[in-house]
Amino acid sequence: MARLSRFVFSRPWVGYAAALALTALITGLIALVREAIDVANISMLYLVAVLASAVAFGTGPAIVASVAAFFAFDLFFVEPTYTLTVSNAEEWLDLGLLLMTGTITGYLAAALRGRARTAQRREREAAVLYDVVRLMNDPDVNSALAVVAERLRRELKLAAVLIHFEEGAPVAATAAAGEAEALHLARRFSSTPSLILGPGAAPTADQRAAPGRWIRVVSPQVRSLRYLPGQERLRKVAVNLQGWQIGSIFLVQRPGFPPLGDSDDRLLSAVANQLGLTIERLRLRAEAMEAEILRRTDELKTALLNAVSHDLRTPLSSIIASAGSLLQEDVDWTGEERRDFAHAIEDEAQRLNRLVGNLLNLSRIEAGSLRPDKGWYDFGALVDDVLGRLRPLTANHSLVVDVPDDLPPVLLDYVEIDEVLSNLIENVAKYTPAGTEIRVAARQVNGELEAEVADRGPGIPPDALPHLFEPFYRISKAGQPKGTGLGLAVAKGIVEAHGGRIWAENRAEGGARFAFTLPLNPPYGAGASDGEHRP
Amino acid sequence: MSPLTAARVLVVEDEPAVSRALKTNLTGHGFQVKTAETGRQALEEYLRWHPDLLLLDLGLPDMDGLDVIREVRGQASTPIVVLSVRGGERDKVAALDLGADDYLTKPFGVEELLARIRVALRHAARPGSGAAPLFRSGDLEVDLERRQVRVGGSEVHLTPMEYDLLKAFVTHPDKVLTDRMLLQQVWGPEYGSEAHYLHVYVARLRKKIEVDPQKPRHLLTEPGVGYRFVSEE
Repeated sequence: MARLSRFVFSRPWVGYAAALALTALITGLIALVREAIDVANISMLYLVAVLASAVAFGTGPAIVASVAAFFAFDLFFVEPTYTLTVSNAEEWLDLGLLLMTGTITGYLAAALRGRARTAQRREREAAVLYDVVRLMNDPDVNSALAVVAERLRRELKLAAVLIHFEEGAPVAATAAAGEAEALHLARRFSSTPSLILGPGAAPTADQRAAPGRWIRVVSPQVRSLRYLPGQERLRKVAVNLQGWQIGSIFLVQRPGFPPLGDSDDRLLSAVANQLGLTIERLRLRAEAMEAEILRRTDELKTALLNAVSHDLRTPLSSIIASAGSLLQEDVDWTGEERRDFAHAIEDEAQRLNRLVGNLLNLSRIEAGSLRPDKGWYDFGALVDDVLGRLRPLTANHSLVVDVPDDLPPVLLDYVEIDEVLSNLIENVAKYTPAGTEIRVAARQVNGELEAEVADRGPGIPPDALPHLFEPFYRISKAGQPKGTGLGLAVAKGIVEAHGGRIWAENRAEGGARFAFTLPLNPPYGAGASDGEHRP
Repeated sequence: MSPLTAARVLVVEDEPAVSRALKTNLTGHGFQVKTAETGRQALEEYLRWHPDLLLLDLGLPDMDGLDVIREVRGQASTPIVVLSVRGGERDKVAALDLGADDYLTKPFGVEELLARIRVALRHAARPGSGAAPLFRSGDLEVDLERRQVRVGGSEVHLTPMEYDLLKAFVTHPDKVLTDRMLLQQVWGPEYGSEAHYLHVYVARLRKKIEVDPQKPRHLLTEPGVGYRFVSEE
């Protein structure tokens, strides 16, 4: 149907010819009927031809049909026949009525048809626009634009559609859909700066800016508008945003197809507008996100500055003091005293080193650049390693280790998970009284490894539980050692980068429990479970 | 003092403070020390002075430390001990796989530094696996001719695979071995990335040869790098 109407639209004479043909047909029909019976007002049959012309082709053909009917009736059926003269006044009235009724009916029917068409067109515009809005919700702008291009291409029966945003637009994107040859054409014109010409003369600034305007694109190198193969099939629609052109929709028609009509023009204009608005929305969203990131970075920086000013200075003060003492020449230090100073320097330097390590880790976690370098490891061996290294720290606690031998190997970054366990154990050792128990355990729960570090200390205040893993959060309590508030935040970042969870809770029997999980999938192969295996 | 301490050590380090501290320390322990700040300087000094050992920082201003290892290894098997930062595990493994002998993670203590240098020099003085047919370390005894292993005098039964792994360790005592080196030596040259087999076998070996497998004294993990067999007198 659309094809037919386009065919007719491009060749207006078809409608008139059809109107005449219909009138001729009805004339034949009336002749046949009058052979058999005499019907009064048989001329009204012509209204069928008039209505049909009006509905199918519009007002013009309808009027032609009614005028033709007037003459045909007069010529063939009004006495004297085969002349345009009319013998009696009554016949004049009949003919006059026929012409009038035909004209008015034709006009009304054509108007109705026009309204129906407008409604159809609006519906189509609305459907396409709705699709464009819906498709542009895809967070991946490039793929969304590609789908929109394809939607437009199918709607307008084009060979190719290319949507291109200028550099400096809020998004730099090019998306295309269509046949390879046509796309090539669109790309060639979109990538070279082009001189824009209206149909006929050069366009005014207004025309250039108006969205949806059909514009011929001619390469600027071609002064004389020499024909470039395929150029007549290419059209361009500007995508504007607040008066600035931020992009274009390039359309390539199929060879031999008639130019697009007014309704397509309006449709494209609406789509171009919608694209402009969508891009603006994307830009605003990106800006809002950036602002949020900046705000959070700012918060982190403030916290970092506070931590640096306190936590870095404390060990530095004692290092400087110890080194200064060693350098004093007016005091005669004993060997024991010298060793004490040296030890103080070493201990505090180690503390600084751990602090810097945690700060680095935290900044990597915050920047999202923590990428675990995973391998398959025996978790029990890792626990043994960490406990071996931290023995001086846990020497005053009674250590209970419960890691079953038959745990499957776990996929993890050894250095990072070592860090997590170390931070948890250090944390627990620091905040619980000497002589109490520290329990380190691991087990398999629901396809995950669950590891825990638990103590018999005072537990965690309930209001602190939700904040425990936030950077620089610390529970200030008189008489308790102060942490940096980094260890648990780092542990959380690492565990989450491994696809696990970490949490803290108070034990029913007293004390705190820190636990984390690591995924045990993909299932570790049959590999080295029993007996001798060469992989 | 053993003759080893008169050895020539070339320190390649671009941080003047670290370089100065290393020089003072090593000179104090009887080594002859020269320093270089860039990779190019290091290679020139290496050719001119013929040091017995290179202490090489991997982060150099003019070239990748790994390239320095390649250059040196193209000419001689002079021991190389690499200095690297925590988190640079990939670099350490790459350096060791290229032929570096050992590594130290900055910041490190003097004791650790001296121990690494001594081990590297000892290996250089006793090239190849010309190990004695009977290896002894603490209460562990490995008879390489009869393929027998004893712990505290009583014989321990090892599977062929476990024995091969232990042999790889005791023929390189105190030297760090990367996962790849161990896999290729024990499983064959076509292996290199199947590290989980290795970890499982090390865990099993610990259970058989360590007095307390939870506090291993011989088979120590080098986090993110590999393992080291630590020998005892």
